[in-house]
Amino acid sequence: MEIRGYNMPEDLYYEQNHFWVRDEGDVLVMGMDDFAQILAGEIVYVQLPEEGKILKAGKRFAKMESGKWLGKVYAPVNGELVAVNEELETNPGLINDDCYGKGWMYKIKPEDKGELDNLMHTHEELDTWLAEDIEKYVKE
Amino acid sequence: MEAKYNFADRFGDQVLRCSKCGLCQAVCPVFGAMLRPSYSARGKMLILKEVMDGTIELSDELIETLFQCTICKSCFENCPSGVDVPEIIRQTRRDMVQIGSCHPAFEGMNEVLKNHTNIYAEDEPEDFERERNKKAKYVYFIGCVGSYREDEATMSTLDLLDRLKVDYTLIDEVCCSGVLEDLGYQINERLARKNIDLILATGAKAVITGCPYCSRTFNSKPQYAELNDKGIKIIHVTQFLKGMDFGVKTDKLVTYHDPCDLGRHCGIYEEPREIVRKIAPRFVELRHNRVDALCCGAGGGVRGAYPKNSIAMARRRLQEVEEVGADVVLTECNSCVHNLSNAKLRKQKFRIYNISQFINELMEGTE
Repeated sequence: MEIRGYNMPEDLYYEQNHFWVRDEGDVLVMGMDDFAQILAGEIVYVQLPEEGKILKAGKRFAKMESGKWLGKVYAPVNGELVAVNEELETNPGLINDDCYGKGWMYKIKPEDKGELDNLMHTHEELDTWLAEDIEKYVKE
Repeated sequence: MEAKYNFADRFGDQVLRCSKCGLCQAVCPVFGAMLRPSYSARGKMLILKEVMDGTIELSDELIETLFQCTICKSCFENCPSGVDVPEIIRQTRRDMVQIGSCHPAFEGMNEVLKNHTNIYAEDEPEDFERERNKKAKYVYFIGCVGSYREDEATMSTLDLLDRLKVDYTLIDEVCCSGVLEDLGYQINERLARKNIDLILATGAKAVITGCPYCSRTFNSKPQYAELNDKGIKIIHVTQFLKGMDFGVKTDKLVTYHDPCDLGRHCGIYEEPREIVRKIAPRFVELRHNRVDALCCGAGGGVRGAYPKNSIAMARRRLQEVEEVGADVVLTECNSCVHNLSNAKLRKQKFRIYNISQFINELMEGTE
C-alpha cells in the first residue's frame, strides 16, 4: 500500500518512530519503515543486542546509524528479544534494499499481543501520521 | 614561479622527496581495509606529483582518493624521507575546496557548523543532569562525539569525576571545530569565541577534555591561543587521572588502543598505560601499539564521508584484540569507542570502554 509516496504495507503495525511490526503468531517481527529508511539514507550500523533481553514498551533498547543520523530503537511492545537479523551486522544496507523483507531487524516474543492495538494500523491513522511527519522532517 | 596550487608551493619539495618505498602503504589504515594503492600515502603522493607536473588537475575525480585519509599520521611516522603526508593532505583539501571540489559530507559539516553548535546538527543537547557554566576549578569539555554519540560513556566519566570529588563544571560548549581544518576549511571563529568566553567565565584554571582532538585544537590552534595566554591549562582526561589511586582492580585481561589524536598527534602513550596497569594487572599490548598503533578509521572526516570503509578499518583493529584474547579493550577517545563499538561483531565477546568509564564501572561494582 502506498501512502503519500511511501510503501507502507497494510498488514503491518507501526510505532511512532517509524518501525513496523508484523504479527507472525508467537513472535512479532520488527523493522524500519520505508519513510525512515529513505530519510536516514544508507544505514551503516545496527545494534544487535543479545537474545533474551527483556523489552519494555516505549523504552530504548538499541541504536542504529546512517552516515548522517543516529537513531534510537524503542520497544513497540513489552516482551523478550528472541532473535536478531545477524545479516545486518555486516550488511546493514539490507534495510535500505528491502526494509520489509531481508532488512528485518528483530523478533520479539510479546507478553501480550493485545498491545499491538496500541500501534498504528488503519489507513486513516497512517495517513494522518505520515502527513505530519512529512511536514516535520522532509525538506523540499 | 608560483605554483598553481598551494600544496605545491608549501610542500612540493616533500612530494618530490617521496621515494615511493611503500613503507607508508604497509601501515595505512585506508589501504589496509580497501587494498587500493591509490588510497595509501604513496599513492596520494604519486597523484600529487602528477598534479605538480601538470599531467592531471585537482578535480572531483580525485575526491575519492584525497579525501579518504584518516590523518592518522602513521605514514609520517614510518616515512624514511620525512614526508609530512597529513599536512600535505590538509593543504591539498584546502586547495580542492577553493576550486569547488570537495566531498559533499565535508562541505555539509562546514555548513552545519555555520548554523549549529555541533557536527551532528543536533538541537537537543544531553544535559548530563549537571549544572553548567558555574564557577569551578576545572571545566570538563566533552566534545561532539561524547555529547551526541557516546553519551553513556560520558555520563560514566562524569560520575567518576564526581566520585573523585573533582571541582568541575560543564559549559554550554559548542564544537571546537578543529576537525574543519582536516576537511579543507578553517576553524569557525564564532564557535571558538563562544568556547573561550564560556571557559573564561567559569574562572577555571584548567580545561579537562574527554576528546583528544579537542585537546589538540585548544592547545595548538591560534584561534584558542587566548586560553594559553590567560594561563589556562588544557589537559586530556588521561593526563588528569594519571597518578590517582582508584582503589579498584579487575582480574580481566585488558588491552589498550592508542587513539591517533592522543598518541601520534600528541605523544601521549604512557599516561593511559600507567592508569590501565594500575587497575588491570593482567594487561596485554595489542600487536600494533604506541606509535605503531593501527587507526580505528574514524578520523579525518572519514567516518562521516565513508562510514562503511571506516567501520572496515575498525574491524581490522578489533582483529588484533581477538589475537591477544583480551576481555576488555580500553581507550580514551569517544570517536574510537564509537567506531570500534559499531564495528564489533556479536561473536567478539570483549567489551570496549573509555578508561574513565571502565574505572567508574569498577568503582560502581557493575563491571
